[in-house]
Amino acid sequence: MKEISIQKFELASIRVLNSIPNFIKRRGLDSLTKGIRREQLIGYITILPAFALILGLILYPVAYSIWLSLLEKHSFFPQERFVGLENYFYLWKDPEFWSSLKLGVIYSGWTILFQIILGVAAALILNETFIGRGLVRAIVLFPYMVPTIVAVILWKWLLNDTYGVVNYWLLALGVVKDPICWLGADHIMLSLIIMSIWQFFPFVLLSILARLQTIPPELYEAAKVDGASAIRRFIHITLPQIRGILFVVILLRSIWMFTKFDTVWLMGEGAGAGRFIRTLPVYAYMRTLTYYQAGLGAALAVIMFAILVVCTILYFGLFREEADIG
Amino acid sequence: MVEKRGWLILAIIFLFIFSLPWIVMAAEKKVVRIWHTETEPQTVAAFQQIINDYEKLNPDVTIKQEALAWGDLEAKLTAALAAGAPPEASHGQAVTCASFYAKGLLRDQEDIAESIGKENIWEAVRRQCFHDGKYYGIPHSAATSLLIYRKDIFKAKGLKPPETWDDFIKMAQAMMERDKDGRVTRYGLSLPGVGLFINILVGELTKANGGRLFDKKTGRPTFTSKEVIEVLEFYKKLNDTVLPPGWLGHGYLDTFANLATGKAAILYQGYGRGAGYIEKYAPKEMANPDHFGVLVKPRGPSGKETAAQIDAEPWMIFKNSKYPEEAAKFLKFFFKEENYIKYLHTVPIHLLPTLKSVRNNPAYWANDMVKKWKEWLDMQYRYFEKDQAKPTLIIEWDDLKLPFGLEILGSGIIPDMVTDVVRGMPPAQAAAKGQARAEELITKLGYKRW
Amino acid sequence: MNRFKIQKFSNRLFLYGAALLLALQASFPFFWMASTSFKPPSEVFAQPPSFIPHQVTWDNFKRLFTSTHFLIYFRNSILVSGCTVLLTMIVSAIGAYSLTRYQYPGREKIAGLILCTYMFAPIMIVIPFFILAKKIGIENTHFALVLAFTSFCLPFTLWLMRAFFKTIPIQLEEAALVDGADRIRAVIHVVLPLALPGIIATSIFTFILAWNDYIFTRILITSDELKTLPVGVQDLFHSALIDWGLIMSAGMMITIPALLFFVTIQRYLIRGWGAGAVKG
Repeated sequence: MKEISIQKFELASIRVLNSIPNFIKRRGLDSLTKGIRREQLIGYITILPAFALILGLILYPVAYSIWLSLLEKHSFFPQERFVGLENYFYLWKDPEFWSSLKLGVIYSGWTILFQIILGVAAALILNETFIGRGLVRAIVLFPYMVPTIVAVILWKWLLNDTYGVVNYWLLALGVVKDPICWLGADHIMLSLIIMSIWQFFPFVLLSILARLQTIPPELYEAAKVDGASAIRRFIHITLPQIRGILFVVILLRSIWMFTKFDTVWLMGEGAGAGRFIRTLPVYAYMRTLTYYQAGLGAALAVIMFAILVVCTILYFGLFREEADIG
Repeated sequence: MVEKRGWLILAIIFLFIFSLPWIVMAAEKKVVRIWHTETEPQTVAAFQQIINDYEKLNPDVTIKQEALAWGDLEAKLTAALAAGAPPEASHGQAVTCASFYAKGLLRDQEDIAESIGKENIWEAVRRQCFHDGKYYGIPHSAATSLLIYRKDIFKAKGLKPPETWDDFIKMAQAMMERDKDGRVTRYGLSLPGVGLFINILVGELTKANGGRLFDKKTGRPTFTSKEVIEVLEFYKKLNDTVLPPGWLGHGYLDTFANLATGKAAILYQGYGRGAGYIEKYAPKEMANPDHFGVLVKPRGPSGKETAAQIDAEPWMIFKNSKYPEEAAKFLKFFFKEENYIKYLHTVPIHLLPTLKSVRNNPAYWANDMVKKWKEWLDMQYRYFEKDQAKPTLIIEWDDLKLPFGLEILGSGIIPDMVTDVVRGMPPAQAAAKGQARAEELITKLGYKRW
Repeated sequence: MNRFKIQKFSNRLFLYGAALLLALQASFPFFWMASTSFKPPSEVFAQPPSFIPHQVTWDNFKRLFTSTHFLIYFRNSILVSGCTVLLTMIVSAIGAYSLTRYQYPGREKIAGLILCTYMFAPIMIVIPFFILAKKIGIENTHFALVLAFTSFCLPFTLWLMRAFFKTIPIQLEEAALVDGADRIRAVIHVVLPLALPGIIATSIFTFILAWNDYIFTRILITSDELKTLPVGVQDLFHSALIDWGLIMSAGMMITIPALLFFVTIQRYLIRGWGAGAVKG
């Protein structure tokens, strides 16, 4: 009974798919040869849902933001005034903007660097055979799947300067004499970076490990016979193999870290000690949602976008070879 | 095998397509949305109980409450207003209410005031959102900030209640405790380093120092005035003497944890809500007002009398929402004594009644927490009766006419002044920086009048 | 022992040490969360901290289930994440199939353009998205969330799925077509089973994104009964009377199902991710 209906559904959908080209043909759009035209059309139709979703739900808001960045507009009132590039000139002279840019670069720079190093190192380790490997592989992925909000609460709990367990240990082991104020003004950036690395390096690990598993073992065996050291083996065999995926992973992680908002915001909420982790996305959020200057907020987002586009183009230019593999 | 998998996938697609309408269905009734910031589970439950009772009497209306964390309310309201879809009613701070009133977003609540009895609204909170002779917001409850201290230590050391800020620092220093290596085991004071709370305290201290944050006539910021600079100096002194070194990273709740567990002797920005926290986390034999008392807050060097902050969010009803009338009707129901008392009792020491009649109602006093922590309640009444408590950033009630309080509050300009000073910038310089930023913001918002 | 053996032994030692360290850094915070969730309030702030509660209590969990809407949030999270995974997989599988199997002008451009969408900070999309949702009339529905998450995952999943489909020889489909099957049948019976590891890997990514999202849900959802776990937990955390035991037990209850799920599919995941990674 059920199977019949599914079959019917299948047939119906095939019929629909087949009839669309015919429909268009009848409208006289058949300038190309039949096979290619049909092929192309199905191609367009099948990419359409994905394309439409992205276009409608992301590109529209992006375009709207770009338009907004040319306006002077309060975040929740309809009145708006076209001011051209004034918002951008304003930000150019805004010390808060420069400091948030600096903090954003510091944050994303260090987190990306260590995520990649740790991720690759951990992937190499977990690619070896040892007892309990499956278990360790599963455990290691834990930080990546904890909801950010839980991760932040958990770390605030661990790092608390008066009753946190980290300070307790550091004191008990005699590493420090006084408790470290992990979440205070001086160390909050460090804590945020550590936490972010902890949270996101499993993504790198996952991608690299997956790639490592597809490297034919024969490659290594030959090298081992030659007596090549581990480091040499890594540089000459492993690295060339993971170059392509590394290129993509670095790109994605950089984009995601540079625009990272939730972790940073939940950690500091913009003021007090949070001022010292007021990165560019946080500042853009604040301009829009706490200063209520939607135009300036949008301009900040556009600047962020522009920076990323330029960096990506440079990146592709610098690593042309890897880009081709990737 | 392969065959089966194909069927399975198709079946899933089917299931999904059929479930879509079911997901979309949600939004069809006459729905009144109410946002508030009382997120404690028992308050949410009590509020839901009131809603259920109301819905039974009014089957055509569905009321949906959303309890929101503080920092989230503004973001959510902004998005909703930008989309032209505000909730029917919401909590807001007094400055928020003032700002929304100035922009013509609010429905007046004269009818609710009438139904409660205009004389029945407690004088102390009448002006939270009262503009041009009309109520635009009636507070859901009231509370003030409190100076909470370890009474047992205070007594053991034979200390006197502080009159001035200098006295206060001395008192806090006397209550500090160190171990034999000179390491601090109990700090004199614990303060939240969160932006909102620094805003609150700067306003409160400026008032206790006889100063203003905005010029009375023009609304121009007065951050570089002597009184405000003295506030910044006070912060610096506290930071250097009695505060834990990482206090800027402490949340509001960390300060209560510090007090309850004996890591700090005093809170300057405590609230009645904390009584519950102390009952939970302080050692059993200490969880009482004999160990955790309240004192009148001291005044600043240039001030004549003390000041506290009012925490009493008015209910706002949005004119352009779908069912403002229904929301008003529900709020009248909410303020009915038998319902209202249920709500107040969920956090008895923090939710003080807006209605005077409730204070005379024995049912209100029939609560163990209320009886036990009466000292804390009385102190709040004291601030209210003397009109020493004002809403966040407000020094005199007239400041609520300034239309940019909300933006200043959100911008973090005032907390940045404090962080600058605490990190070593001379107070005058930090004040000048804050002043310039605030003037710029007000100008850009189009509210410059000087 | 000769030099070679010593070196081998020390290599093993290093390997196990490193693996242990890896496991510890990930599991200790989790362990600490678990430990706190079983403590009574009086023990939460105890100094020195007790690693295994002296007095194990289930009270936190009991309160979590009775005095909060945890179960509702949980159901919502599952529902939203599940639907997001389904929708994303359908759309991206079809899209990726199109990008690998059909020739048409602009194909590569579309792929490039899609990657570009990642460079705009998601946080700035929230408000325009909300306005859009309002215009279509789907604000405050799970449907809006599903759409939002789907469009956020799509660039990445499309790219990943495209890589997977590239590794499946086109000849297999052609063979099926020659056998008399039509295209859809060939795809369902031949291509999809082969792409299964990839589909799983991609689903996980999507699931994690939807499961973890905070800000979109916060803005788009206004009714309590539609909230998902992260928003529910944030409210608990901010409910001025922070209750560490309760929060940590909520954290546990969010993490355990995901963890179990992860352990069971871990094998497929890494294999899947790898197959896709062969070609970028």
